[in-house]
Amino acid sequence: MVSDYSGTSPMVLELGGVLRSCPLIDLSPGAFHFRPREKLRLVMETILEGTGQEGKKVSSKKCVLEGLLQPVKLSPAELYKEPTNEELNRLRETESLFHSSLLRLQVEELLKEVRLSEKKKERIDTFLQEVNKRILRVPSTPETELTDQAWLPAGVRVPLHQVPFTVKGCFHFLPPVRVTIVGSYLLDTCIRPDINVDMALIMPREILQDKDALNHRYFRKRALFLAHLAHHLAQDPLFGSVRFSYNNGCHLKPSLLLRPHGKDERLVTVRLHPCPPPDFFRPCRLLPTKNNVRSAWYRGQNPPGDGSPEPPTPHYNTWILQDMALESHVQLLSAMLGSASGLKDGVALLKVWLRQRELDKGLGGFSGFLVSMLVTFLVSTRKIHTTMSGYQVLRSVLQFLATTDLTVNGISLCLSSDPSLPALADFHQAFSVVFLDSSGRLNLCADVTASTYHQVQHEARLSMVLLDSKADDGFQLLLMTPKPMIRAFDHILHLRPLSCLQAACHRLKLWPELQDHGGDYVSAALGPLTTLLEQGLESRVHLLAHSRPSVPEWEISQDPPKHRHSRAVTLGLLLRPEGLTSVLEMGPEADQPKAADFRQFWGYRSELRRFQDGAIREAVVWEAGSMAQKRLIPQQVVTHLLALHADIPDTCIHYVGGFLDALIQGLKETSSTGEEALAAAVRCYDDLSHLLWGLEGLPLTVSAVQGVHPVLRYTEVFPPTPIWPAYSSYERLREQASLVPRPNKPCPAYVEPMTVVCHLEGSGQWPQDAEAVQRVRAAFQLRLAEILTQQHGLQCRATATHTDVLKDGFVFRVRVAYQREPQILREMWTPEGMISLRDTTASLRLERDTKQLPLLTSALHGLQKQHPAFSGVARLAKRWVRAQLLGEGFSDESLDLVAAALFLHPEPFSPPSSPQVGFLRFLYLVSTFDWKNNPLVVNLNDDLTAEEQVEIRSGFLAARAQLPVMVIITPQDRKSSVWTQDGPTAQILQQLVVLAAEALPILEKQLMDPWGPGDIRTVFRPPLDMYDVLIRLCPRHIPRHRQAVDSPAASFCRGLFSEPRPSPLMPVLGYDPPQLYLAQLREAFGDLALFFYDQHGGEVIGVLWKPTSFQPQPFKASNTKGRMVVAQGGELVMVPNVEAILEDFAVLGKGLVQSVEARSERWTV
Amino acid sequence: MVARRRKREAKEAEERLPSPPGYSAIPIKFSEKQQASHYLYVREHRVREGTKSPWPHKRTLFVLNVPPYCTEECLSRLFSPCGSVQSVELQERPDLTESPKEPTSKFFHPKPVPGFQVAYVVFRKPSGVSAALALKDPLLVSTESHPVKTGVHKWISEYADSVLDPEALRAEVDTFMEAYDKKTAEEEAKAKEEEGVPDEEGWVKVTRRGRRSALPWTEAASLRVLEREKQKRARKELLNFYAWQHRETKMEHLAQLRKKFEEDKQRIELMRAQRKFRPY
Repeated sequence: MVSDYSGTSPMVLELGGVLRSCPLIDLSPGAFHFRPREKLRLVMETILEGTGQEGKKVSSKKCVLEGLLQPVKLSPAELYKEPTNEELNRLRETESLFHSSLLRLQVEELLKEVRLSEKKKERIDTFLQEVNKRILRVPSTPETELTDQAWLPAGVRVPLHQVPFTVKGCFHFLPPVRVTIVGSYLLDTCIRPDINVDMALIMPREILQDKDALNHRYFRKRALFLAHLAHHLAQDPLFGSVRFSYNNGCHLKPSLLLRPHGKDERLVTVRLHPCPPPDFFRPCRLLPTKNNVRSAWYRGQNPPGDGSPEPPTPHYNTWILQDMALESHVQLLSAMLGSASGLKDGVALLKVWLRQRELDKGLGGFSGFLVSMLVTFLVSTRKIHTTMSGYQVLRSVLQFLATTDLTVNGISLCLSSDPSLPALADFHQAFSVVFLDSSGRLNLCADVTASTYHQVQHEARLSMVLLDSKADDGFQLLLMTPKPMIRAFDHILHLRPLSCLQAACHRLKLWPELQDHGGDYVSAALGPLTTLLEQGLESRVHLLAHSRPSVPEWEISQDPPKHRHSRAVTLGLLLRPEGLTSVLEMGPEADQPKAADFRQFWGYRSELRRFQDGAIREAVVWEAGSMAQKRLIPQQVVTHLLALHADIPDTCIHYVGGFLDALIQGLKETSSTGEEALAAAVRCYDDLSHLLWGLEGLPLTVSAVQGVHPVLRYTEVFPPTPIWPAYSSYERLREQASLVPRPNKPCPAYVEPMTVVCHLEGSGQWPQDAEAVQRVRAAFQLRLAEILTQQHGLQCRATATHTDVLKDGFVFRVRVAYQREPQILREMWTPEGMISLRDTTASLRLERDTKQLPLLTSALHGLQKQHPAFSGVARLAKRWVRAQLLGEGFSDESLDLVAAALFLHPEPFSPPSSPQVGFLRFLYLVSTFDWKNNPLVVNLNDDLTAEEQVEIRSGFLAARAQLPVMVIITPQDRKSSVWTQDGPTAQILQQLVVLAAEALPILEKQLMDPWGPGDIRTVFRPPLDMYDVLIRLCPRHIPRHRQAVDSPAASFCRGLFSEPRPSPLMPVLGYDPPQLYLAQLREAFGDLALFFYDQHGGEVIGVLWKPTSFQPQPFKASNTKGRMVVAQGGELVMVPNVEAILEDFAVLGKGLVQSVEARSERWTV
Repeated sequence: MVARRRKREAKEAEERLPSPPGYSAIPIKFSEKQQASHYLYVREHRVREGTKSPWPHKRTLFVLNVPPYCTEECLSRLFSPCGSVQSVELQERPDLTESPKEPTSKFFHPKPVPGFQVAYVVFRKPSGVSAALALKDPLLVSTESHPVKTGVHKWISEYADSVLDPEALRAEVDTFMEAYDKKTAEEEAKAKEEEGVPDEEGWVKVTRRGRRSALPWTEAASLRVLEREKQKRARKELLNFYAWQHRETKMEHLAQLRKKFEEDKQRIELMRAQRKFRPY
């Protein structure tokens, strides 16, 4: 069953005889009850199977089982048969109505998944009929005053905050005149999994009075109506649960939720909305300019004597109008959408689109109803035709949203030009987003805030770019990728407790708004607050979005939840990287009238400053030295503005933006995340390359100097610091002017030389023999060291392959490269005497190190200049992978490229501008990417065209079996994926996928918790219980001990001075005992076990036995390593000599190893 | 359970160590302190008739499973009680080739990290081999009189060794290059000598000498020429000129679409199996 995966070492761990098809990527939550160890051992043997079966026709069913795509092979007879009419029609349709046939199939599948099945519909229909019957049977009650609620039975509470309590009017319950189904269920555009059926209960005229629109009276009656209904329905065994909720989060309008009893409980939720008879209230009294909540009643004070008019209550009026228009809206929708299946498909797709972006829920969300109305509008303006496909509808609506700003130019479904109707301008004055219904009086977007609409617009724009880009997996990114707030926005902040917003309302003088919103201070304050922050953050933020207050449900025997009980309000910031670099907020010149406004806006932070051009201006300067602090300036802005203008103290603001920074902060850094230290190292490298270019006396001049070390592409997790060794901790080698560690001292600080490739000008004098080239290169290295010491006084040390140069405390390793050397290594003589070129390991490695790596390094260096957050993201990602002890399975470059992919292919997001969001997306990418069937294309510098990418993908499928498990394609490396050739193996990758899938929700939950993230390092601590043996190391000999995830408070003295003092001796380079130890272990026991270690200060090495090598094997002279012969069942077989090996672990690492902890209960020999 | 197994093993060891046919097992430990031991599997070095071996017949002991901390000096010391040892060579795997080894330079071919190795121990007399085969007592690699460095001490001394003397390197490079230059000069001289002299079939080799020698005959170059020819031919061909060509192009397009459709269907099926269509 197990076949070799060419190119990677054939190491397959089996789980007994159990063959499980374990898809590499699909990690449904149900799969997580496996312990990590088992997960590691559940190897995808299936991924590798294809190799042995080439040529055979593989049925598609089998492919599905294996989870691996095969190149399609069709016989010529099948390919070239005469097409049928039907087939031609379908092909033509696909061409004209959809983007591609794949998209069409995908859309069809998605709709199948979200649509209700006929069977379920039948069950729902019968339930609805029952509900209908029971509602009409609810008995009526005698008439009482509205304030006298003694008649209500004990088990039910009025689902409304009755503030102020006294109100005129009488109420008695009568069964509804009519029960009609409204909303998406009727239109067949509702989508799973939350099936809601909306029922409108038309209240009889007798209940209502003429002036009920005034002072909440209508809403009080509506609530009492529901309460009585709830009491009676709750006693019915037909219902599994009877609860209250707010209709779309509007807290004046509760609705009753009914769910069937028994196993159908999750099937459907019926929402009951009482509403007045359609023509009961006079619409002219409910215009946005009218007042229907009297200040005298609401605030309990007499109207002000100065005769100022009552403030209009547009939102309150709208809520009444909405109830009145329920039936007419559904009629309009069913007339428009009823017959056109394409439109319905489109609405369903749009709903999925909105839901993935969390835009549809809560008060002021962009709900499915709004989208349906929008589609109706576009049909009426001929922008959508009824024959269009769902995909085209989706596209047209997104196009419309992306290009139309409803906050400025409202739209209307109303066709009549009745002069009595109010003008659009009136609506714009009252509401931030305007979309009028067919009556011309009701604004459908009344509750939508400007920032929500801008968010919708932003999303639509991103989606349009994605659809136009012809990306292969556009469907997946557009409709299948969730965009939760924490992963979509660079920074987020929580406002909690919500009661602070009440104070804000008073400070901002929002009393009319409160009156209008019926006391809902959260939604009253949201709009003004976001406007305030948007103004303050203008230059630093692309988009500011807010979460919509969630819609709670509650038992009928409970009081409705208070505003302050709902969760925190969360704001998301999409940062503008180019605006983040400035610490200055430039204001107008001091003598201009605008200066006063500026001063008023920024308060005491605004100060007069004189600038270099002589101008004296108002300005605000924020304190930020490092890049990390500059990224957090928005926090200062938000805290300052909210405290100044809204009386929200900083204790109420929980800003989530820099919590993960601590993990990539170096030892002595407290305010910076290493960008500055990296830049210092790069500057030193630049100086060195200038020196190299200007060298005199080399036989050939230097033509190019290229950095290849991670530091030189800003992705080294812990940037190097200049070192000044204290000689007392070292032995000295006088002749070579070098320092050597002392056995009786703690291990000296780890210094990794930064590798630099140095190309020389071309010359015909080079020998054409590999061995001789090596010698000439060595001569160059020696000469280079000599000249650098002579001409620039730098301390140098040459070896056969490189020259180490000490400059300003940094150590560089200069390698001389000869361009034709890979070529020479590749040359072979065929028997005919022709020179043929064959890749050899040596030539490939040399080419990688001297050609591809410099290109990659400079490309990523450029990426960092373009996206300043790249360094942070790449380093966090590497830090995490290494902290999980998997770092050695992945090459440095491959992880850098995955991080780069987040910036170059951010769809459906925008490129990350903070390390936090980038890291979350890294985890998401790693845990969801289908490595088996897709190459990760990293289009550096945009060098690959769309056609080339398609070609690469098809080439990938054909060559899948020969490629590594993880395939990363760059423009420089279109076929072979050089950076993943040596790993990871399938098991290691699988382990990473599993760990990422577990870490992501934990971390997101921590960051979304409004009361603080708790221990942010949780996801960085590796699980240790899966290892068979733990080798604990002694911190004394771990040079990078202080870099550990849980950094020890104190460690050993590493023989360094803190202040610069020139050193004539070369420090100890690349001496890291744990690495040397691991190299020995891997060499000696690599066949028997895997070793896992965190190079950043890990104190433990995890050892995992390979189950296959623990099987008894017959004696073979070539395979005796670490094994012994035992008699087993009369036969002589070889088994690993585990006890001796465990002792070897201690022997080989003498001094470094503290203890070897064998968990012998975990294995048997 | 481990203890019981250890006891059982100890008992077995007393009786006779199990060893594969033809080999005998010698326990080996790092020092007195270790409890469990590795086993060296040794036999006389033999090769098939007719094949040559760099190791002398009868006097060579072939040792399998030499632990990583065991050096050549160590083995030499450990086997000296059996008879005086002439040489010991450690290798990564059994040596099957006959070619003599080239002397390697410590500058250009640094020693690899040792794992479990095989050894060829050459005694001065054949009796040494038979004495070694009879060894029963555990060998100790590191003793008080001859300590073997491992761990931190070993790494530090290795680090010190890795700091090389540039002068020695320079000297080595110079000697190598001198030899290389001499060799190339000789070759050139030989080629010059042969110039104009017909070989036994009467062919005369003519070469162009000078700084730029003629283009070498490489595979890549010949492929390039073939490719160019092909392009030239393709350019001359008329596309969609005849009715049948037109028909065929259309059919080809249809076939492409069909193939794509099949591929897409497979993709969809796979995604369905992975529940990729559950949006949330």
